[in-house]
Amino acid sequence: MAVTEAGSVARARARRRFRLPLATTGLLSLPLVWLGIFFLAPIAIVAAYSFNVYSLYPGAHGFTLSAWHDFLHGGVYLRLFWKSVKVSLIVSVIVVALAYPLAYYLALSGTKRKYVLLLLLIAPFLTSYLLRVLAWKVILGNQGVINSFLFWTGLRSPDHPISQLLYSRFAVMLVLAYIWLPFVALPIFVSLESLDRSLLEAASDLGASRRWAFLRVTLPLSLPGIFAGFLFVFIPTLGEFVTPSLVGGASGYLYGNQIVDLFGAGFPDWETGSVLSIFLLVVVAALTVVFSRFLRTGQVAAR
Amino acid sequence: MDVALSKNGARLLRGFFALVVLFLYAPIVILLIFSFNKSAVPSFPLSGFTLKWYREFLSNSDLKGALETSAIVAALSSTGAVALGVLASLALTRRRFRGKSAVSALLLSPLVIPYVVFGVSLLLLFHTLGVPRSLLTIVIGHIVISVPYTILVLVPRLDQVDVAFEEAAADLGAGPLQTFRLVTFPLILPAIVSAFLIAFTTSFDEYAVASFVVGSRVTFPIYLYSALRFPTQLPQVIAVAVVVLVLSLAVVVAAELGRRVAERRLEAKA
Repeated sequence: MAVTEAGSVARARARRRFRLPLATTGLLSLPLVWLGIFFLAPIAIVAAYSFNVYSLYPGAHGFTLSAWHDFLHGGVYLRLFWKSVKVSLIVSVIVVALAYPLAYYLALSGTKRKYVLLLLLIAPFLTSYLLRVLAWKVILGNQGVINSFLFWTGLRSPDHPISQLLYSRFAVMLVLAYIWLPFVALPIFVSLESLDRSLLEAASDLGASRRWAFLRVTLPLSLPGIFAGFLFVFIPTLGEFVTPSLVGGASGYLYGNQIVDLFGAGFPDWETGSVLSIFLLVVVAALTVVFSRFLRTGQVAAR
Repeated sequence: MDVALSKNGARLLRGFFALVVLFLYAPIVILLIFSFNKSAVPSFPLSGFTLKWYREFLSNSDLKGALETSAIVAALSSTGAVALGVLASLALTRRRFRGKSAVSALLLSPLVIPYVVFGVSLLLLFHTLGVPRSLLTIVIGHIVISVPYTILVLVPRLDQVDVAFEEAAADLGAGPLQTFRLVTFPLILPAIVSAFLIAFTTSFDEYAVASFVVGSRVTFPIYLYSALRFPTQLPQVIAVAVVVLVLSLAVVVAAELGRRVAERRLEAKA
């Protein structure tokens, strides 16, 4: 069946290629031109800006590494970058650790309603991002739901609200974890769902305890899902600026906020902003390439 | 004996699952409760039931204007993204050409670009070209970030569709456009619809990129963001939030049910 199908596909492709030599160009030109003009060219402009090859304002035009040098040796921006890395790392690890048992339950407990439960888990992710941040702002504020509940029940005096709840690094991490948790369960669920249960039976027949079978069979085979989930959170949160600017306050100020401010109305410095942007882009691209290699070898190993 | 989970383990995990679901939905339920609360500040104790905030938001023309703007932007950008996505997906699934993996990597790369970087880049591009910021500049950005999502939905579906149908149409004398219109398009219609929905909701909810290229007409997320920073209109915003959250949850459930019905029908036919 699979063989004949593959054969017919190959034949059809061969025939079509013979018939319509221009079709590939015709199909691809529009999407590629669009991405060329509105995706690649803008990034190239930012890169050119960071080397001072190009500027929108009259000034020194000529290749220089001074903005890059200041960035790499100045310390301020790099420290902020490491802070962002730390926050993203903590959030990603926590979220993956929380999502794993959820996915495990859905995939391996034999519950009949696993797809209904999966939908229940993922549905919040498909609703508005900003509105979920809004909900936490309402909950965490000094006069917010948690604090006012504590005042009302007399557990805490109104003069001393728990003020670290909102506008803190804690708030940023809580909200980011809340936002990404449902999404991360998905790749882990997929990797556990495709796990061949007979492997576990074999392990058990050969005398492995459940814990040992989990550590030696299930966990290694679900690593691609774990890494995919980790990447799904780590990459978008690394450049995050919306949540920190809404619930982060001064201590939750991250690298993404710095980029926005360098292009903002206050004291714009587009050259430095471009350096920060390109640096983030390179880090993210490198992570994506490295991890996707790893994911692919992981899948091959699982077979 | 179950090899994956002991009875107690299953019970423990079920409890944990319930706790997490509670954690995920509690904020939404809290918004729901406070949207009907009389006090202008959302805090305990509750001060009585009112529909005032819903009435106020219905008569708030800024808010309604922002919702309308977002609907326009989302409709235009999702149409554009689906059109580009269909073209690219046809090339990826039905054609063989050199550099295919590079092309598909490029087509999917907007998935991983940090939105702050993309927003900044677009801003510089439009400055360079002298294009004034408007609805159109947001649409352009949203098409770029939605195209990969449409491809991720369309390619698996195109892979499922048996090429023999298209072959048969071609053998019977249909041209490529006719083949697409009469054979391929109807077969991938469910995927086109879900690609459209995904692109639409992505655009409707998108703040980060839009914030860099927005003109004088603000979209709903941009309106929300400013309302969040200066919370004088907080109760109204909470009411809107409830409406939007409940509506989008309903759409998610409806889409899932629709997908299942479509799948069952496809299975029945096969």
